[in-house]
Amino acid sequence: MAMQPHSKKRVCYYYDSDIGNYYYGQGHPMKPHRIRMTHNLLLNYGLYRKMEIYRPHKATADEMTKFHSDDYIRFLRSIRPDNMSEYNKQMQRFNVGEDCPVFDGLYEFCQLSAGGSVAAAVKLNKQASEICINWGGGLHHAKKSEASGFCYVNDIVLGILELLKYHQRVLYIDIDVHHGDGVEEAFYTTDRVMTVSFHKYGEYFPGTGDLRDIGAGKGKYYAVNIPLRDGMDDESYESIFVPIISKVMETFQPSAVVLQCGADSLTGDRLGCFNLTVRGHGRCVELVKRFGLPFLLVGGGGYTIRNVSRCWTYETSVALGVEIANELPYNDYFEYFGPDFKLHISPSNMSNQNTPEYLEKIKNRLFENLRMLPHAPGVQVQAIPEDAVNDESEDEDKVDKDERLPQSEKDKRITGEGELSDSEDEGEGGRRDNRSYRTPQPRKRPRLDKDAPALKDELKAEDSKDDVKNMSVEEPKKDTVPNP
Amino acid sequence: MSDCALVANVNEHDASMDVGNDKSLFEPTVDMMVNDFDDERTLDEEEALAAGEQQDPKAELNSLQREGDMPLEELLALYGYDRNMDKPVVEPTPEVVPEETEKPESALQQLYSETTSPEATRCLRSGSRPPSEEEDDYDYSPDEDDWKKTIMVGSDYQAGIPEGLCSYDDALPYENEDKLLWNPSVLDEKVTEDYMKKVCVMNSGTGVEAVPRGKQLRDDEEALFLLQQCGHNVEEALRRRRISAQTPAHASLWSEEECRNFENGLKAHGKDFHLIRQHKVRTRSVGELVQFYYIWKKTERHDIFANKARLEKKKYTLHPGHTDYMDRFLEEQEASIGGVVRPASPSTMMVYAPSPAAQPDPLALGEKEVFSQMNTHTTSSRALSTEDQEPEAGS
Repeated sequence: MAMQPHSKKRVCYYYDSDIGNYYYGQGHPMKPHRIRMTHNLLLNYGLYRKMEIYRPHKATADEMTKFHSDDYIRFLRSIRPDNMSEYNKQMQRFNVGEDCPVFDGLYEFCQLSAGGSVAAAVKLNKQASEICINWGGGLHHAKKSEASGFCYVNDIVLGILELLKYHQRVLYIDIDVHHGDGVEEAFYTTDRVMTVSFHKYGEYFPGTGDLRDIGAGKGKYYAVNIPLRDGMDDESYESIFVPIISKVMETFQPSAVVLQCGADSLTGDRLGCFNLTVRGHGRCVELVKRFGLPFLLVGGGGYTIRNVSRCWTYETSVALGVEIANELPYNDYFEYFGPDFKLHISPSNMSNQNTPEYLEKIKNRLFENLRMLPHAPGVQVQAIPEDAVNDESEDEDKVDKDERLPQSEKDKRITGEGELSDSEDEGEGGRRDNRSYRTPQPRKRPRLDKDAPALKDELKAEDSKDDVKNMSVEEPKKDTVPNP
Repeated sequence: MSDCALVANVNEHDASMDVGNDKSLFEPTVDMMVNDFDDERTLDEEEALAAGEQQDPKAELNSLQREGDMPLEELLALYGYDRNMDKPVVEPTPEVVPEETEKPESALQQLYSETTSPEATRCLRSGSRPPSEEEDDYDYSPDEDDWKKTIMVGSDYQAGIPEGLCSYDDALPYENEDKLLWNPSVLDEKVTEDYMKKVCVMNSGTGVEAVPRGKQLRDDEEALFLLQQCGHNVEEALRRRRISAQTPAHASLWSEEECRNFENGLKAHGKDFHLIRQHKVRTRSVGELVQFYYIWKKTERHDIFANKARLEKKKYTLHPGHTDYMDRFLEEQEASIGGVVRPASPSTMMVYAPSPAAQPDPLALGEKEVFSQMNTHTTSSRALSTEDQEPEAGS
């Protein structure tokens, strides 16, 4: 069986060709068309053929009410532009009207967006793919019983709920310029999902995401908010993103990650106020990918659509580990990309109001909070791995675990090996059974198994994210997994 | 991901409401139901309204008890500036589960303490904040509570998370199936590429010579799907492709009449594709209209249309009723119009309308630069289409 080049991940892409045809209304900044533009760029870059492509199912009301209230979904299903007048009261109640308008095919649009994210989560759960992408998803403002900020159904929450069937802990990271309030709220009181949102804060939609909002009840310390000022540039962003995410990985130790890639944090966004380039934005994808965890990428905001499609195209290439040319290939929407017709964009000269001191203070405060995590396992197993990990992977089986860890990681280790098996995963029932249909795996599944060998695998995984051998052993296994 | 412009305006609205100009809040609510007025303005109001709703009395009281974290708005309400009195209809069903009880009166204290030590009161929220040194390293804007919102706690807000982990068997957790369109792992990448090159040649075989497209070999999703359907048998896929290539899907090509009707529709209804479909272009779905629009607006045909509309606008400024939408439309366009490459007609790009893979006719491209690149067969990486469709006489 032929395979993709070994250093690549199996990437699964969810797209429905109808999604670009939904239209929020004249003057509305949210344009689903940007997803089609992205898709078209992917095709013309030749990235499409490298991915497993799915047209996702349409999520049913049953699926959506796993999170949303029955009333709300029933309402979304029945409302149409031509019967709106009968629903005045409910429209107010569910905040559907102007910001979140009623448009033709609204419910179908929600079904496609949610269907993609849920399907992607299932795919990851089945270990049939390492990275799943749904640019039609990422609608992070939707609440349990309320539309908000152009979002009606929260595909992310639905996707994470699906991941939670199989993963004890799921990490959610949000790099949209707006706070990921819908997802944060949904998981505000649980310690099984950590939400980490980087966003503009201060007189800005949606008005949540204060540094001091850290979760409640059992979820206390499991909401992490990074409030930022105007003008964040690539360098500043990375300077806060890397330490926070490394620390989060270290203390929370998720076994799956969802990254909301809202592209309104790019420079020149119609609604945003940051100054990131496509590279800086994509860097986040790259960094998260390095942890080698099951990885779900979703879209989100993004209102200067030519840049949105640039960004998501680039991030698809990052997920695939494929380099693509800066010259844009000819495509159906080529004219949109003038005058330069390049993939990458330059930052503007706007001033960055996030001083290094400010970012440092935020970082330190968040570190304090993260130290409060009650059950945080004492051992660091995941720092952002170095780029060139493949050379290390060669002899990793022979080497003792500690030696396998790069010095940088060893330095940060606090506790001994003994604690590894002492995590809160201990005694989780049913987990082993889940995997009974599979042969014992060389494949690493961080935090899935409580026994030491599995953890060894996990450590291996961190060191050799793009490991050649793991990929090849894994591939045949996929065929033994019955198709859905 | 929402309109920051809207949010920026909230404060203005709040200000006006606080002065007692409360009617201004109510009216947009009614308008909103009618949904027939200028978005920008109403979006502002909607946002302001949402700001008000968020602090709706019942929810507030509950959350107050629970958290003792009272936003400024409510306090104003207590002092007789209750904006909610204007819209008693708005009840987003709070039913907050009060888990922790805080003294409501702490809210009063908060009003006064807010400016000096906001953290002191904020810490009370569900005990969810570290009661530590907050002030020193966190700067506050004086009126932060005007825009600030609160994450709600209670069964009406959080997702229900099933206990424990379930076993994953073959059964999908949902009924409808995801359709696999392409699986890259069956064939070697080289084989796939060869196949696509052949398809490419086949596409361009009938007419114009193939144009070098630069480094990238573009993907044809239909061809790949065909290969998938043929069990990844390249020969079979090529054979079927040859047969189907004889009969291109001209059904989805837009006629001149449809184009004209579409443009008239834009004139009459703005970008309300629902109305355009209803009154002008009954032959197409709303989705097709949207798809067409995004191609159309980057063509010469659009430029002609826009220029004409601009002229008409000058002529008929005394009849604003008809130009309202067009003003709007033109304003939006002006920002985006640059001297970029423009196909002459959208029709050529819509030949295989259902497939976004369809290529525009290079001959229809309006700009010389591209044209010359094409003729000299440069291998510019700004790859050009090699499709061989005949130019449409659309414009």
